[in-house]
Amino acid sequence: MVYQKILVTSAGEYLDQMAKEVMELIADWNTEVIGLYVVETSTPILTSRKIKEMMKKELTEKGKKILLDMEEKFKGPNIKFKPLLKEGKPADEIVKIAEEEGVDLLIMGTGKSMVDKYLLGSVSEKVVHTSPCTVLLIRTSKE
Amino acid sequence: MDIIINVAILAISLIIVIKSADIFVDNLVAIGAAFGISEIILGVTASAIGTSLPEFGSAMIATFTHSPDIGVGVVIGSNIWNIAGILGITATYVGLVRSNPRGIARDGAVTLITALILVAFMFMGSINKFAGIIMIAVYGVYLWILVKDQKKESRKNNTKIIEELNNKEENSKESAESSKNVKSSKSSKISKKTIIWTLVGLTGLIVGCRLLVYSGVELATIAGVPTMIMGLFTLAIGTSIPELVVTLSSAMKGLHDLSIGNILGSNTFNIMIGIGVPALFMDIPVEPLSLSFDAPVMILVTLMVLLLIKRGMKLTRTDGIILLATYIGYAILRLFVLN
Repeated sequence: MVYQKILVTSAGEYLDQMAKEVMELIADWNTEVIGLYVVETSTPILTSRKIKEMMKKELTEKGKKILLDMEEKFKGPNIKFKPLLKEGKPADEIVKIAEEEGVDLLIMGTGKSMVDKYLLGSVSEKVVHTSPCTVLLIRTSKE
Repeated sequence: MDIIINVAILAISLIIVIKSADIFVDNLVAIGAAFGISEIILGVTASAIGTSLPEFGSAMIATFTHSPDIGVGVVIGSNIWNIAGILGITATYVGLVRSNPRGIARDGAVTLITALILVAFMFMGSINKFAGIIMIAVYGVYLWILVKDQKKESRKNNTKIIEELNNKEENSKESAESSKNVKSSKSSKISKKTIIWTLVGLTGLIVGCRLLVYSGVELATIAGVPTMIMGLFTLAIGTSIPELVVTLSSAMKGLHDLSIGNILGSNTFNIMIGIGVPALFMDIPVEPLSLSFDAPVMILVTLMVLLLIKRGMKLTRTDGIILLATYIGYAILRLFVLN
């Protein structure tokens, strides 16, 4: 089955590895790839307004760079790329965009250790349970 | 009962101090902008002093209320906690905190040098007005270097934006706007609201710090421990809550430069301004144990974190555990063996 509309999300880490695997899979497909970066805006209580602004600005800059990088990586004769930069909680935004855009495949990375998963939580785990479409998790590993 | 009341005062005053520092810095930046001070200078200064105002305020109030040792305790204790405690917790929790060579070379070296300057002045027996002037001047030079670096960075970003503009037409509108924003800092009139909020922030900071130092001294008396200990641990850790919040959340978001940079910048400010400014008003006495143990530990943990980072420009979970263990070891020695 060839998927017509694919949503690829990344926080930047392991993008090279992820893009390589995805391109091996979709290089010959006639498909639209939506690249999504979510600027996480939540901050702990007592974070100063200036710091919140600074974080948002830095993350937006980072997101723009990642989307430009994605655009370079997801190039193919029949691949159309669309960058999207959103703000909010990553897992919620990913599912929301998947629904709004009507994508039929959602691709993201996974590969946190058990300790990291326990301490930091896992976006991919949350998305898997609520995604409106098929989810492909690319196993990433630390350098 | 007295303990409960004083602990409650301590907790409430900490929240007042942290929120007031936030309001004060925010509105001070707005006043600075109205006077035409560049966004870069304001940005660098605000981020440098923002999270450190509680330590500075406590040190100032402690000096004016004739408890300068609690002030020195807050500064040295905060610096040890910032590095071994906060960076330890962050690296252990997040698993990886990256750094960049330029930031570490500049901020790391300055943090180490300021710690050495402090110890050099401590050897004189007390930190006097002359030492205070030198410390403030050194901090001035550091701020100047920061502003210069930030201007260079900003110019680089502008060039990038212009290049992107030439390459990508669809982004032209947005990029042009952000380019304009970087170039120009509009000066506007200062509103009454800004002035009122600046005063509210300053008043909150003074009242909060006064309550903080008061409850700290009272708790030390009730517990029968020296006020220096209260400064080194309770107040130091309490006033460093903003640093913990910023360092941990920025590392979790992958903003690693902000994470480590905030700690190193804060430690430099704590010493040069947190001790330098109070020294202008009163000679700050040096407790022998502070000179022979706390200050060397501060230098040791600073060196330690720089060496750990230097191995791969990052702090790993193992490094975090090493740092935390060092802090726990220091606390046990200081509280139960040397006290």
